[in-house]
Amino acid sequence: MDNVANLMHGFSVALTTHHILLMMAGVLLGVLVGVLPGLGAPNGVSLLLPLTFSMDPVSAIILLTSLYWGALFGGSTTSILFNIPGEPSSVATTFDGHPMAKQGRATEALSFAFLSAGFGALAGVILITLLSGWVAKFALRFSSPEYFAVYFMTFASFIGLGGSSPLKTVVSMGIGFTLASIGMDSVSGNVRLTYDFDVLLAGVSFLIAVIGLFGIGELLLTMEEGLKFEGVAAKVRIRDVVVTAAKLPRYWLALLRSSLIGIWMGITPGGPTAASFMSYAMAKRSSRNPEKFGKGEPEGVISPEAADHAAGSAAMLPMLALGIPGSATAAVMMGGLMIWGLNPGPTLFTDRPDFVWGLIASMYLGNVVAVVVVLATVPLFASILRIPFSIIGPIIVVICFIGAYTAASKEFDIWLALAFGLVGYVFKKLDYPIAPLVLAMVIGDKAEDAFRQSMIFSQGSLKIFWSNPLVATLMSIGLILLLMPLIGTAVRRLRGRRAIRTV
Amino acid sequence: MKSYKITAALAGAFALAGISAAQAWQPTKPVEFVVTSGAGGGTDNFARIIQSIIAKHKLMDQPIVVVNKGGGSGAEGYVYGKGAKGDPNRVIFGTNNAYLLPYVAKLGYKFSDLTPVAALALDEFLLWVNGSAPFTDAKTYVEAVKAKPMGFKMGGSQSKDTDQTLTSMIQDATGAKWIYVPFQGGSAAAVQLAGGHIDSNVNNPNENIGQWKAGQVKPLCVFSPVRLAKSDAVFEGKGWGDIPTCKEAGLPLETFQMPRTVWLPAEVPADAVAFYADLMEKVSKTPEWQEFVTRTAQTGRFMKGKELNDFVAKDEAANKKVFEAEGWVAK
Amino acid sequence: MITRFWAEIITALATLAFGLVIVNGALEFGIGWDSSGPQPGAFPFYIGALVALASCGTLALTVGRKVAGNVPLDDNFLDGVRAKRVASFLLPLIAFVVLSVTLGMYVATIVYLVFTMRFQGGYGWLQTLATALITAAFFYLALEKFFQIGLLKGPLETLIGL
Repeated sequence: MDNVANLMHGFSVALTTHHILLMMAGVLLGVLVGVLPGLGAPNGVSLLLPLTFSMDPVSAIILLTSLYWGALFGGSTTSILFNIPGEPSSVATTFDGHPMAKQGRATEALSFAFLSAGFGALAGVILITLLSGWVAKFALRFSSPEYFAVYFMTFASFIGLGGSSPLKTVVSMGIGFTLASIGMDSVSGNVRLTYDFDVLLAGVSFLIAVIGLFGIGELLLTMEEGLKFEGVAAKVRIRDVVVTAAKLPRYWLALLRSSLIGIWMGITPGGPTAASFMSYAMAKRSSRNPEKFGKGEPEGVISPEAADHAAGSAAMLPMLALGIPGSATAAVMMGGLMIWGLNPGPTLFTDRPDFVWGLIASMYLGNVVAVVVVLATVPLFASILRIPFSIIGPIIVVICFIGAYTAASKEFDIWLALAFGLVGYVFKKLDYPIAPLVLAMVIGDKAEDAFRQSMIFSQGSLKIFWSNPLVATLMSIGLILLLMPLIGTAVRRLRGRRAIRTV
Repeated sequence: MKSYKITAALAGAFALAGISAAQAWQPTKPVEFVVTSGAGGGTDNFARIIQSIIAKHKLMDQPIVVVNKGGGSGAEGYVYGKGAKGDPNRVIFGTNNAYLLPYVAKLGYKFSDLTPVAALALDEFLLWVNGSAPFTDAKTYVEAVKAKPMGFKMGGSQSKDTDQTLTSMIQDATGAKWIYVPFQGGSAAAVQLAGGHIDSNVNNPNENIGQWKAGQVKPLCVFSPVRLAKSDAVFEGKGWGDIPTCKEAGLPLETFQMPRTVWLPAEVPADAVAFYADLMEKVSKTPEWQEFVTRTAQTGRFMKGKELNDFVAKDEAANKKVFEAEGWVAK
Repeated sequence: MITRFWAEIITALATLAFGLVIVNGALEFGIGWDSSGPQPGAFPFYIGALVALASCGTLALTVGRKVAGNVPLDDNFLDGVRAKRVASFLLPLIAFVVLSVTLGMYVATIVYLVFTMRFQGGYGWLQTLATALITAAFFYLALEKFFQIGLLKGPLETLIGL
């Protein structure tokens, strides 16, 4: 119960008018950077960093974390409205969020996304409050083999979700893997697959791929269909937000499962993006109506959102207690901590309780503030869809390309985004699934690194993946997840054939 | 063409020694600070601290825009700098990777594409083991490793980078042999050591301080000719200044340090080089800089002109020897 | 126009070529398995090979279906009307990209929005110019002034001293 007393002390630090105003400013700025694809939370935080040098550390971290929450919310907004994931972690939100918006249910989709995100974030913070000491010890047990096992689990949960031709899934995933391995290979210290092009030194940015494949690809499809967004006719009322909120408790199981997945991926090195993918996959697998997913199923919005935010907030714990950044944004914040003169590590909790517990308290407050602020913007955002497509379409194009440029200030990225746009269009028309490509790009190189590090540890023996109870459990869960649908399909096929024969 | 570039670089470097007082050149548009690491990395902190000091003391009239170009472990930033040949508004921040990277990887730039401006500090390397390890001094640890070749694991940043170079130097000097495990960076190596997954690392002070404070890791010796500056006690009454140098601890390897460096593109006016060298010298004298250097347990040492060139030449030669012996030199 | 059959074939050939390029690039780094596990080229090599194989599979499958007289393959991938709609969107978009890298992103934004709104959307000049200028000004203020990120600039910005 020490932690609760500490938390109360934290609230006394965080709960000042000055800090609440900082939170609101942070959230609003965050929504802005989140809405612009490419700019994103890590960029936003590093851009604000110089401003915080003259602030006291508690105020500074409150501003930066609030910006992070805001950016996560902003990223979901564009995912739902325009199929452009503003943040990598909101890719999975596009799968069902955008179809909902196209059906004129943008308000509902946005409200579900924000509320479940808020729920997930609070679940993550509660975990930090209650179990910080235990989690910090647990995370220390993770080494390369365990990391690999976690990535393996994520892939395994996503493979076999079905829908497309297996050959095309392999092509798509393989392209994702190879794109991820371009650039510096930290295990060997070699620069791989750049074919002597300097522009490829830094690799192919995941953000650019997503802007092209999802944003521009979707625009081309929309144009071809000659469709306007059907949201035009939908009325936008603040009442709809309340009605949606009342529906949320029905999805308690999805919320709970997704929060747990998110927390798990936040404290292990999976991170928010992998968490949202895995949560989406698990929701579809456990659903009674898996065929509804991808066509505007609310659970397909709730699950990735809750997991994304649970992971985002839970990832703050390994950052503070161990100095392991659980996400790209956390890495920037860690740089900030060092500049402010704080050293992340196990003793930060005892050395600087004001800072740590003030931050944790601010995570409660900041997320509540963020949910209120973004819910208030729902009608505004949803009404954007009422603008005729001949205006909003070109503006989205501008946003996409400016976003592509701001991701790394590289001219080459603009061309790359265009190329990915064409690929996304053709792939969608020919039923190549894009999600495996994106997932492979996010965690493919990390999985490869972890695998090869493990092989260095064991000097080439695969037995290392069953060398202790922790990694053995993780690998076994992964294998079960991988094999379940294959067995399921095989059984169904056998039955199906028999059925046909009997007919 | 190539030799012309080198001459220009050298001319720039030599010229700045003479006219550092004269303010013949001033930036006329916003100055770009190119950081050759990702956001949150060591070089990123280095550049952003300097940015905040310049802003606070109003050392320069033009605003500063910081861009991170950390791809290819920094090569992206240097290639970007090369692209601004003759443009003195692009300042590149890095380490010794500026002149070491082209040896170990095929990259789109050569060291002669950069003009040296200044170095502000030397980051130190220490030999660390897990807090509960039975070793209390460097000598016994290295003897134990020698007795069991490839039986101990050394962790560090990516392959062919400073950490592995230093490991290789220790192996050369002592005859010990580790399994080297490359991680994504020093902080990952710190946590892996704290968790007992590896036996030692050669992290910078700042990368391991959090774990040392908690007693999860302990330092054995520092690869520096003199002990680190005295500091407050970090763990069990011991501070940075109490750590013996590796030479004192009986390892036949005296120095391994990483300079924090500032560069300009090739063929920039000598006046501009002088301006930035002067600017960095002013930064290095501010209390904020001193405080930063102390807190991160780096050694503050300002170098420019001939002193810097000599340091670079010596450091380059020492590293090149290891690269050649290990067969890392890219063809 | 292009039938779905040819679209499938061309795409599969493109992914096949991609796979082969990766395989070729990976060979440089060693694809074996030594004492410290897979060599740096191993993963890209096998993944590239897998992509190439799967592409061949798709090719075979598509040709096989065509021979068997599969109807959807003869469908239009893109008929005249649709192609025109896509082109009317894609061509200005490409022009926008080209303008961005030559004249800078602000000028490109204004020109592109004016073209699409006035000449494709048929809006009045007032509405068109207002939208274009406000969009460009928003990005200028948000990015250059607030976040201090420079976008690509061309000769025009230099001329008016931005």
